[in-house]
Amino acid sequence: MKKKDKITPFIILMLLPGVGFIVFFIGSSIVITVLQSLGFFNMMGESGFTLGYWKSILSSREAMDSLLFSLKMGILSSVGTVLVAFPLALFFRKSGPAKGMLGSIIKVPLFIPALVASFLILNLISYHGLINTTLMRLNIINEPLRMLNDSFGWGVITIQIWKNLPFVLLILMSAISSIRDDTIDAAKNLGAGYWSVLFRIYIPLAMPGILVAMILMFIRAFGDFPITSVAGPVYPSSVANRMQIMANLYQEWNQAAVLGVIIIVTTFFVVWAYSRFAELVQGGA
Amino acid sequence: MATLTLTNLVKRFDEVVAVDHIDLDVADGEFVTLLGPSGCGKTTTLRTIAGFYYPDEGEVYFGDRIMNNVPPNKRDTAMCFQSYALFPHMSVWDNISFGLKMRKMSTSEQKGKIERVMEMLSLSDLGKRKPGQLSGGQQQRVALARSIVTEPEVLLFDEPLSNLDAKLRVQVRVEIREMQKRLGTTAIYVTHDQDEALAISDRIVIMKQGKIEQIGDPYSIYRHPETRFVAGFIGMANIFDGVVLEVEGKRCTVQAPFGKLFINAEGQEIPKKGATIHFSWRPEDMKIRDRASTNQITGKVLQAVFMGDITDLFIEVNGQKMRAQSDDEAKIVAGDSVSFGIAERAFSILRG
Repeated sequence: MKKKDKITPFIILMLLPGVGFIVFFIGSSIVITVLQSLGFFNMMGESGFTLGYWKSILSSREAMDSLLFSLKMGILSSVGTVLVAFPLALFFRKSGPAKGMLGSIIKVPLFIPALVASFLILNLISYHGLINTTLMRLNIINEPLRMLNDSFGWGVITIQIWKNLPFVLLILMSAISSIRDDTIDAAKNLGAGYWSVLFRIYIPLAMPGILVAMILMFIRAFGDFPITSVAGPVYPSSVANRMQIMANLYQEWNQAAVLGVIIIVTTFFVVWAYSRFAELVQGGA
Repeated sequence: MATLTLTNLVKRFDEVVAVDHIDLDVADGEFVTLLGPSGCGKTTTLRTIAGFYYPDEGEVYFGDRIMNNVPPNKRDTAMCFQSYALFPHMSVWDNISFGLKMRKMSTSEQKGKIERVMEMLSLSDLGKRKPGQLSGGQQQRVALARSIVTEPEVLLFDEPLSNLDAKLRVQVRVEIREMQKRLGTTAIYVTHDQDEALAISDRIVIMKQGKIEQIGDPYSIYRHPETRFVAGFIGMANIFDGVVLEVEGKRCTVQAPFGKLFINAEGQEIPKKGATIHFSWRPEDMKIRDRASTNQITGKVLQAVFMGDITDLFIEVNGQKMRAQSDDEAKIVAGDSVSFGIAERAFSILRG
């Protein structure tokens, strides 16, 4: 074996673009955001330590409603997407003649920006959109359903699922494809019917993948800006939307930074909770 | 426990006929091995019995119940997989209890059965471990425990020992056989290892390209192969063609390429005079310096491989190469001229 490589100035030089970028742009921007939320790096006026911005955000009804709304969207979108994607991932486990084609169609949303996707779905679910028009024509409903900009946020969840389905599907498919056929056959051979195989074999064995998919999906939906802008309720807005309003409309950069920190901290917390949970799940192994 | 019957069984995969009109009757409690080279249809036959494949033609019966369209989870079989196929996320205990849970057995009843099986296979201390923490041999025993604990009608084995090292393989195959005898369960065992098949089976079914070549107990399969394929596949064999010169009762005089032979066809189909026949004999049938037998062969040793208990010999007789064995104490080396006697009853007359 070779001795451990010495860190020479040349190696440092080679690493600088990558590592430097991470440290400088990502690290510093997080640090600055945190400091800004505490009153430093002020855009206007004096800089100095204060908890005032945190207090005003935490006591603001709008900010708290936004936070709750974003949490709700994050949780429901991630659960919803996984619920839709899991049966599909099972279906795509075995390749078949029609499945290649279907698999390609399903990946389309992956290449469409969220904002564009929102406008595409708009045509389907808006007040005078395709779905409402069809249901009215068929005399199933008397007046259009409110599926867009509804106060609960179903429009947002629908678009989140549509947009992120292929992404989640890819994660779940790779988790499911690592389950051996023999394992499934052994379960059937021992008397397990369809539901037993699903709940006792597929889901537990795919759990690491399911968790990763849910975490990533939560982070995306929790910090969402474009989809909520288009399809979200009039009130409350998402945390990211509120941040933009704070900064651009009210010029309250420090309060915007507080909201930014809340998004970052929530994200870190969710990832930390995931790793703890993953440890618990695999604790016995 | 049940008899197992396959009638005219056919299984196709697109154009390929994996199992080609197979008939097989397995008695209650019998241990039958399906033996053949890879691609001969033995595993497909086993998986059709388990219900993972449905037959394209013919029937599968357990007792007198037709099983053709019964899904695998409704068939009372238990299969040991080549990969063991243990559930990686469950403990040894949960793996073994899985089949009982699926049968909705009460926990207290489960406990007794699982403990007994674990005891029998010396797994008692491993109940809490996960499969990933076990050695290959231990995993194998868990797979075995998991399949026998449900007391199935038919036990199915798909090359269960091929991932074990040679020593363990011999040990576990003895365990499997003893277990099966004790439980009295009908068993179908798939392997490509002829030693394993000879050692473990009541009967052996030799398969080739989806068809059955020969069915028989290990002794008759080894001593009296019926086809050139069986003779060559099981053990070593010298296989030659010859013309029948004379037939007196069961005794034939045959002109082989290396000389004249006397073959006693007792218990075999007696060939007609003038016919060309294929026949075989085992290397160990060539008795060194045996002057008593009517068939005397003298050859030159091309290669002698000392194996300890025997010496493996490749000899040349009148330009024809054949294999022989010597258990003689005298050292034999290449270039020696050695004479052998072969008993008239040692030959098998082969069809095709």
